[in-house]
Amino acid sequence: MDLGNNEMFLSNDMLHEKQGHNSLIEDNIITSINNSRRGSLVTQDSEFELDDALLTGSDLDYDYEDELDDMIVLPITNAKRKQINEGGVPNLEYECLTTKDIFNRMLERVNHLQPIFSLPLEDIIILMQHYDWNEERLLEKWTDKMDDLLTEIGLIHENGNLTVNERGVALKEDFECGICCEVKSVEVFSLECGHEYCIECYRRYIQGRLHSGNIITCMGCSVALKNEDIDEIMGYESSNKLMYSSIKSFVSKHHRNYKWCPYTDCKCIIHLDDTSSLSEYSRLHYSPFVKCNALHRFCFSCGFEIHAPADCDITNAWIKKARKESENLNWVLSNTKECPKCSVNIEKDGGCNHMVCSSCKYEFCWICEGEWAPHGKSFYQCTLYKNEDGKYNKSSSQEANKLMKKYTFYYRMFNEHEVSAKLDWKLGQTVGIKVKSLQEKIGVSWIEGQFLAESLRTLNEGRTALKWSFAVAFYSDPSHNLTKIFVDNQALLSKAVEDLSELLQIKDPELIMRRKPDFYNKAGYVQNRTNALMECGRDLLCKGICKLTD
Amino acid sequence: MSRAKRIMKELQAVKDDPEAKITLEFVIESDIHHLKGSFIGPPGTPYENGAFVVDIEVPMEYPFKPPQMKFDTKVYHPNISSVTGAICLDILKNAWSPVITLKSALISLQALLQSPEPNDPQDAEVAQHYLRDRESFNKTAALWTKLYASAAYGDKEVDEAELYGINSDVVEEFESQGFEKSKIIEVLRRLGIKSLDPNDNATINRIIEELLK
Ligand SMILES: [Zn+2]
Ligand SMILES: [Zn+2]
Ligand SMILES: [Zn+2]
Ligand SMILES: [Zn+2]
Ligand SMILES: [Zn+2]
Ligand SMILES: [Zn+2]
Repeated sequence: MDLGNNEMFLSNDMLHEKQGHNSLIEDNIITSINNSRRGSLVTQDSEFELDDALLTGSDLDYDYEDELDDMIVLPITNAKRKQINEGGVPNLEYECLTTKDIFNRMLERVNHLQPIFSLPLEDIIILMQHYDWNEERLLEKWTDKMDDLLTEIGLIHENGNLTVNERGVALKEDFECGICCEVKSVEVFSLECGHEYCIECYRRYIQGRLHSGNIITCMGCSVALKNEDIDEIMGYESSNKLMYSSIKSFVSKHHRNYKWCPYTDCKCIIHLDDTSSLSEYSRLHYSPFVKCNALHRFCFSCGFEIHAPADCDITNAWIKKARKESENLNWVLSNTKECPKCSVNIEKDGGCNHMVCSSCKYEFCWICEGEWAPHGKSFYQCTLYKNEDGKYNKSSSQEANKLMKKYTFYYRMFNEHEVSAKLDWKLGQTVGIKVKSLQEKIGVSWIEGQFLAESLRTLNEGRTALKWSFAVAFYSDPSHNLTKIFVDNQALLSKAVEDLSELLQIKDPELIMRRKPDFYNKAGYVQNRTNALMECGRDLLCKGICKLTD
Repeated sequence: MSRAKRIMKELQAVKDDPEAKITLEFVIESDIHHLKGSFIGPPGTPYENGAFVVDIEVPMEYPFKPPQMKFDTKVYHPNISSVTGAICLDILKNAWSPVITLKSALISLQALLQSPEPNDPQDAEVAQHYLRDRESFNKTAALWTKLYASAAYGDKEVDEAELYGINSDVVEEFESQGFEKSKIIEVLRRLGIKSLDPNDNATINRIIEELLK
């Protein structure tokens, strides 16, 4: 696996984005989330909240965790958490835009500027494009040296004004084109400069430049092509491509206020006008997570996927380390493993780490390959890194070795959850089919079947938090009591996530409907555990128990 | 199709203008992607009388994309890599236009030899030399022209210090202190030092420090 590739740090959401925007499943999920966020329409929403409340109040109603909660201390309750959220950091006021939105705003500005320039709109667009849509810079230059500017940008021909030749397309007999050297009767395009070339050559020329965002000039000199020329040559609205690519370069030049959604193929841009509160976020070890219109959540500061409980510093250090160490690490990251008992190859078909050998029925853990029984019964033991203190002399190579071993463990956990998340997403693609079969086979309404999609979303969020929690754990002082609590919290979320993931693998529609309450309970529980883990992680950061050493 | 037509026409145009002293030909007759061009070093420059051969690769999208050109002949010039012959010239990159021909590109290279742009260097070591000591730079560039761009001087033994314009006294001084010549030259090149004031102890110490590494 190439660790240099950012994509490996992208979650399942991003993976699914690659499948394209038109999938029914995705749309369903988005709709369902939209509905639940707005708090309108759906009953599931309230059911979720009910479960939340139930779970926070008394977990004892659910047999699968009654023995667990005695063992951990919830670091911060939900109510307390909200307080910090509201009191600690100001809300970020941002908007989600597309290149088209931004371009339309620029057009408004161009309209607004027209009286100042008394030039055609098309020309002002060229001027703005030349100055990266920076109005102030343009106006400054404009008052200084108007004519020089117009010549430089190609709105006035060097020989003075531009009315010598006619602009546009004309049909010519036996025309010899200087570019392709063909002699033919063909449509020819020229600007006022009089440089004529066949329209086919112009098309190929423009095609290669539409994505550059730069002003396109005559092939023979510096006279600029305006949007209407481009549209005349390339077809209706072709110049939009050029305008959008120009806006893209505007966005990258203003990356303090504008950030591309990092999810593959997502075209959203988050615009944050007032960045003054970002420092407050980092001081309190919160990360400024934003959500694009396609519901992708990412960090506005570092541009990565949502990475709580880790803050940006931990995230960046972790990613750097992963890149550095990748050459030293060599794990088999395939989706198949041999059964530890009978060596039959078993394929992992979802994110669930509870494996059952198809041949000998041996149940084991995907991550540690140990027997499953202790994992399932108490809690997910696998998360606990067993420190082998005291056994070694503290010689430096052994020390380094130990460090490497520690890192390897945490990285492996991180990676396993990433792989699991991707597999969960594959599993999630069957959710739409399941919902459909619920509709067809037992007449469940579409909206009623949405609890599946909701559960999947919750699972994703839980996994992502779990994944990043290993970065936090790696940098935390293992002897501190709060770290131990954090590890316990990881274990609880792991267990909750595995349970939910297992539930999502049920294929029989009737069984799914019968177990609907289970979905709510387990998803609600995952949500709770996710929040608790995030808060505990932030506590570690705030108290300096989790910190970067180098 | 049109690309082949255009290239053939370009070749003819070069043949029709022997005054320009530019050559352009296919490496293999059957492959229109690969050509070699050559031109004469501009008079009044250290490149005078040299014959410079340029390797030309013509992409599928030519003339809508620029040809890839690099010097086969070794050239000592701020905008040309002294190692690979790679060229830093805007018209071969973002400023390319389909009206530019292989011939006009070769003429631009000739003009580049005439007027280097050391502020946009391809070879930092050479550019530094050019900016710090023009006279010494010119000597070195002329030596390279003699050595590599003129048939007559093909096999001449050349002193490595001279090749990089390094004052032989400096090299000898450090050699007398027991350092190896090739190592001295490597360090001096890396530090961009061509000559040395014997009282400049700071620089001498820096060189020794590097030599001891
Ligand atoms: Zn043509
Ligand atoms: Zn023109
Ligand atoms: Zn997005
Ligand atoms: Zn961040
Ligand atoms: Zn087995
Ligand atoms: Zn395990």
